[in-house]
Amino acid sequence: MRLLATLLLLVPLAAQEPAAPAPAPGKPADQAAPPPATQTATPPAAQLAAQPAAQPAEAPPQTSTDNWLQGSFEVGYRWIPGGIDGNFDAYRSVVNLGQGPKLLDADFTILNPSKILFDRADVHATSWGGDPYNTLRVDIQKNKIYRLLADYRNIAYFNFLPSYADPTLSQGVQLNQNAYDTAIRTLNVQLDLLPGKWITPYVAFARNTQFGSGITEFFTDQNNYAVASLYSDQTNDYRAGVRMEMGRYHLTIEQGGTTFKDDQGASNNEPNAGNVPGLFNGQPLVLNQLQEQYRVRSNSVYTKVLGAANPFSWMTITGQFVYERPHTDVNYVQTSAGNFFLNDLFQFYSGGQDVLTGYANMPHSFGNVTVELRPWKRLRIVEFWNTDRYHNSSNALLAENLLLVGTAPLTDQQLATDRLNLNYSEEEIDAFYDVTSHLILRGGYRYVWGNTDLGAPALSGLMLETGSVRQNIGIAGVNYRLGQKFRVVADAEGSSSGQTFFRTGLQQYQKAHIRASYDVITSLHLAGDFSLLNNNNPDPTVKLDFASKVESASLFWTPKGGKWANLLLDYSRSAISSNILYLVPETLTPTPSIYKENAHALTAVVTVRWFTFGGSLFTSSGSRPTQYYQPLARFSLPLNKHIRWNTEWRWYSMSEAFYAYEDFRSNQLMTSLRFTR
Amino acid sequence: MSTRCMRNSCLQAVCSVVAGIVLALCLTIPVAAAESPGYVGSETCKTCHEEIYNNLQKTPHFAIETGARKGWEKKSCESCHGPGAKHAESASADDIRNPAKLTPVETDHTCLTCHLNQRTPGGRIASGHAKDQVGCTTCHFVHGAAGAKLVEHKKSEINARCSTCHISEWAAFNRPYKHRLPEGAMSCMDCHNPHATFSADTMRTSFGNEPGCLQCHSDKRGPFVFEHAPMRLEGCVACHEPHGSANPRMLVRHEQSLVCLECHSNVSMPSAQNAKIGGVPPAFHDLRTSRFQNCTVCHVKVHGSYVDRELLR
Repeated sequence: MRLLATLLLLVPLAAQEPAAPAPAPGKPADQAAPPPATQTATPPAAQLAAQPAAQPAEAPPQTSTDNWLQGSFEVGYRWIPGGIDGNFDAYRSVVNLGQGPKLLDADFTILNPSKILFDRADVHATSWGGDPYNTLRVDIQKNKIYRLLADYRNIAYFNFLPSYADPTLSQGVQLNQNAYDTAIRTLNVQLDLLPGKWITPYVAFARNTQFGSGITEFFTDQNNYAVASLYSDQTNDYRAGVRMEMGRYHLTIEQGGTTFKDDQGASNNEPNAGNVPGLFNGQPLVLNQLQEQYRVRSNSVYTKVLGAANPFSWMTITGQFVYERPHTDVNYVQTSAGNFFLNDLFQFYSGGQDVLTGYANMPHSFGNVTVELRPWKRLRIVEFWNTDRYHNSSNALLAENLLLVGTAPLTDQQLATDRLNLNYSEEEIDAFYDVTSHLILRGGYRYVWGNTDLGAPALSGLMLETGSVRQNIGIAGVNYRLGQKFRVVADAEGSSSGQTFFRTGLQQYQKAHIRASYDVITSLHLAGDFSLLNNNNPDPTVKLDFASKVESASLFWTPKGGKWANLLLDYSRSAISSNILYLVPETLTPTPSIYKENAHALTAVVTVRWFTFGGSLFTSSGSRPTQYYQPLARFSLPLNKHIRWNTEWRWYSMSEAFYAYEDFRSNQLMTSLRFTR
Repeated sequence: MSTRCMRNSCLQAVCSVVAGIVLALCLTIPVAAAESPGYVGSETCKTCHEEIYNNLQKTPHFAIETGARKGWEKKSCESCHGPGAKHAESASADDIRNPAKLTPVETDHTCLTCHLNQRTPGGRIASGHAKDQVGCTTCHFVHGAAGAKLVEHKKSEINARCSTCHISEWAAFNRPYKHRLPEGAMSCMDCHNPHATFSADTMRTSFGNEPGCLQCHSDKRGPFVFEHAPMRLEGCVACHEPHGSANPRMLVRHEQSLVCLECHSNVSMPSAQNAKIGGVPPAFHDLRTSRFQNCTVCHVKVHGSYVDRELLR
């Protein structure tokens, strides 16, 4: 039966285009089973070293009533002596740390001796007290009754990069568009009932909000104006389901729904000359007043079913199906006053009002099935099929009223419809063969196909654009392990021809990835990583030639268990080269767009007793040469068994060769006390 | 949404749940392995492995001991290690199954006996980690580690765990424009599901089957009246480097206009053999002027617009 099932899996391949060659499967499958190999364990101390400022892991909580509360918290104060040297907006966009008292970290566990409402609660919070990134995680559980998990994150998103808003700033032209000063807050709460039982119902709620201010754009035919904007949107996600674990069969059924509202707007209440100051046809183009208001409401319901089964010891099947049906309603009003120009009528107008109502529906289906067969002990065959389909249809009615200068007002109504359909599928089959207990070979083939049609740009003269994707991809891999000390994983895949949706998509490409780790001695861990991607599109109108290469190495040394000293070194070198033809808009002349980046990233941290020093640096050359340095020095002195005094100095420095006006430097000094119970 | 639609949805959901339960119950095969001879019970294991047993007691895995899995009461150790009578007698490591010393595939299958469907949409067997033979015990401490945890929960600890192997990915966060992982505000798992997904690079999904990026950037979710195709067809990575970039807004190019123009440069579009989406650049844009240096100065709704086909508002 297993042979029959294996053959059945292979049948679909016969109906497809020829596959790229896969590697030989190795030795015959009926060899004796190899002795078991061992896995490479991750050095536990590596976690600490990767976070140079982190404290040692806390001791495991005890169940005795004396130790019902265990954990730590750290409070401190950060100074920025001398303030920010250089571009403050760039500093806020990249670092954004400020002065003041901070709750740097709180991490504690409550073991409830009475076990009345809960058995255990874990709370973890970071960076409260004015820092731009606040997190809180609460995990409360009562054995076999419930588990409540809540995760909150508040990220201040400030982004006002002068070079992005205006690459010609150095020429003295000030454009202010595209700035954000918002907060993005995300909350996830999930309550599992009867955890560990064969049936676990759950309910969950998630919320994502963004609010704040920024600078956006009011666009007219001959001028555009930077105007103040307010952002306010909120998404709520409600879901409930049941997870069933029944021996060899597992099933999850979930029903969910989302609501979304977006009430963003823009306004301007003073004369604004826009980005084209001066006169146009003898008159200034000026915006005196603007009110723009969006009222977007969206909702969706979705149903999710996940199943997994081990019907036989040699077969595993998993699958998932999700269907959702999002719908959006739009109301939009814009009123403006000033002096503007209308290209279509070649006439000035003094104001106008636009009112739009619209909607969009996008039913979306997603499904996949994976089957793993183990016909012989050394051989595994994994077949995977996936499909993703959505069809967005929308329309909008725009009523436009323009106050033309010298003539009667112009009233117009436009009905616009749009669509975006996607049918995308992929199928992959992989064979894994255990040549020896240390060596596993993998070969496979993936076929990707799909099509899309969508509203075409107005200048194309077409109603619809269509595109399709067809790819035959060969896959190969090797995995070698020698005990717990040495491990190498290599993967490669490639496609010799095909179709892609976009000019920049993967066409004729080769990917390779090699990862290795070696524990030279117990206290010395070495790791390396190499990845490569080449992508070409020989189409004479495209001529895409893309290459990316990343080489990384890591060393972690913890003599005598790292009790007195440890050393972490991470080095990464990356090179990106891209060359593709594009059309220069003013002449429609094909011209190569060349992007190059050669970058080095280094992290080095040395800890000796109470002192830690090192930091990280990034330096790149090419299209946007950039240097970004973050050195640090830290002194951590235990005052007694429960209190540790930490003092840290950090330096942030960014410089860009082509955009020197964005450079900044900042010294930061922080001192804190960490209390541990 | 109309009341009728809501009613239909609820009906569909209820039917799905009922059908699922009936199907699952019909297919359930009792687990009888623990009744086989050779089992000695966890108390016997505790005699020599008291520290491990005490750690296990504080973890969710101890639920097996108290009957969370039928047939394995008081045999939690042997639920993974197999019958322990021979080992108890000889005290030899060769006489007991040690999942940590099995091949990753064998270890995985031990864990997946119970965890095949838990928070692993689509199943662990198709994940990148499974293909690379990274077993469950590489990241999870089955007996409980410091804090009696089976795995790290703090964001900084999760990042440290992932970066042990993913050196290049972590190095990208040394760049100036990045997601806030080094600051501890996010973890790798906020975007990736290390167990398995069917999205590229094990990206999480959100709101049913939407890309995981939208969990925090839900204002880009739509559906928009006027969509921007790359958002749907290739996702955020068509224009952004999510791990980090030297370019503002984590863009894939140093100048924003080139991000757009590399796609919007089709002359012979659409050719029958190899159609490309993206159209042609509007000829009246003179990039020599400051006003047109950055496409998103005017096309502000580049992720999709509720109002304007040209994404101007």
